[in-house]
Order: sequence, then C-alpha cells, then structure tokens
Amino acid sequence: MSITASDVILLAHASFGALGCLAALWVFVEALNARPENAARTRGAALATAVCMAAAWVLGGYWYIHFYPAEKAMILQGPWPAAHNLFMETKEHLFFVTGILALLLPIATREKLDSSPAARKLVLFVSLMIAVTGLAVEGAGAIIDHGVKVELLRGPLKGNKP
Amino acid sequence: MNSNTSGFALSAAITILFNTTLAWAKDADPPLNSLMKSLTGHHWTTHGLADLFLFIGLGLIFSKSGIAEKINPARLAPMLAGTVVVACVGLALWYLFV
Repeated sequence: MSITASDVILLAHASFGALGCLAALWVFVEALNARPENAARTRGAALATAVCMAAAWVLGGYWYIHFYPAEKAMILQGPWPAAHNLFMETKEHLFFVTGILALLLPIATREKLDSSPAARKLVLFVSLMIAVTGLAVEGAGAIIDHGVKVELLRGPLKGNKP
Repeated sequence: MNSNTSGFALSAAITILFNTTLAWAKDADPPLNSLMKSLTGHHWTTHGLADLFLFIGLGLIFSKSGIAEKINPARLAPMLAGTVVVACVGLALWYLFV
C-alpha cells in the first residue's frame, strides 16, 4: 500500500470539511434548545466548526494549488469535463462562503442566545447554511473525484495504460 | 445584539457578495485573473486572502462605528441567508452557462 502526501492532504481536507459540517449541525441543535446551561457547549461547538473549516480551507487550498493541475488535465480530456468546468469551479468559490460563515459563528455564539431571539435566529441560520453549503461542497468533491476515475477507467478501453 | 455580532454579520453578507462578484470578474477578465495570480502565485490564494481581509476589515469597522447596529437585528439573518442563496445560484449558473 502506497500512501502519498497528496492522498493524506486530500483526505484530511475532506474529513475536516465533514467534521466542520457535523460541528455546525451540533451548534444548530444547541441553538434550538438555547439555555444558559448549554451556552458554553454552544460556543465550544462553534469554535470547533471554525477550526475544522479553517483546516479544510488550508489543506484544500494547498492540495488544489500543488496537486490538482494533473487531475484537472485528466478530467478535461475525459468524458466528464463538467467535473472541473462546473463542479470544481463552483466548489472552489462556494467554499469561501462556507469559510466566512464558519468564522462568523464563534462571534455570533458569544451572544446570550436564550434571551436574544434575533441572535438565536442568526446562529440558527448561519449554522444551517454552513452545514448545507459544506455538504454541497463535499458532494462536488465526490463528483470531481469521479471525473478523474471515469477517465482512468476509460484508459484500458482506449488502449492506454490505466 | 452587540455591535461585534451585527458588525461581522453585515461584513459577512458584503464579503459573500464580493466573493461572488470577484469570481465572475476574474473568469470574464483574464488580465484580472493574471494580476491576481501575480500577487500570490495563484488567483485562488489571492481571492481567499481578499475575502478574509475584507471580512475582518469591514467587521472591525462596522463593529467600532456602530453602523450595523442601525439595521434591525431580526433582519440580519434573512439578509445573510439571501446573500448565500445569491452566491450559490449565481456561481452555479455562471459556471454552467458562461
């Protein structure tokens, strides 16, 4: 078994993204049941969301710049060019939205959510949007990966080495 | 709602719209894309740093000036959600059709 730096970075990127989505859902549930007793837990989950998304941002960015060009070339010559032209292009810019919202969440959860309906509503919206956009970006990542896979699988059919 | 929350929420809404507009602009204007690439070595890195600096900078300005506190706090969440929907739909349609 050969595990490269590219594999580790890419899988860590996806894993931190998924953990960030789970942490955002945790904040959503805590905010639904906002009480003075769970305020510290809500803030902890919001911080976990921001840390996980920041890690996903840095790792994903490093991989995208250093390792993606070779995969991009494969996708564009394969049967699924939309995996790059639509899904990667949208993902690489939509992720900034998820990242900015994740940085906002720890600030918003410093409010007293049990006594401020507007702040609670903001935390509910922000955490839900992080989870939804984060999962959309995760799904786009799977499609991009499949764009490479279908080109590699096509190799033997074309007479190329896989 | 305190001034930090409202200030950074307003900043996030503006940054999300800026992010979408910059994505369209650099895709439509190759010289802008090249300029962004020349600044940090990759257009995506410059884009991300621009978003971060704008979010933090505007957030600090809005928090200290109290501008965001003039917005009805109940409207901040729907406003932010609206910008996220615009970003999602705007980016997807742009790369689908342009």
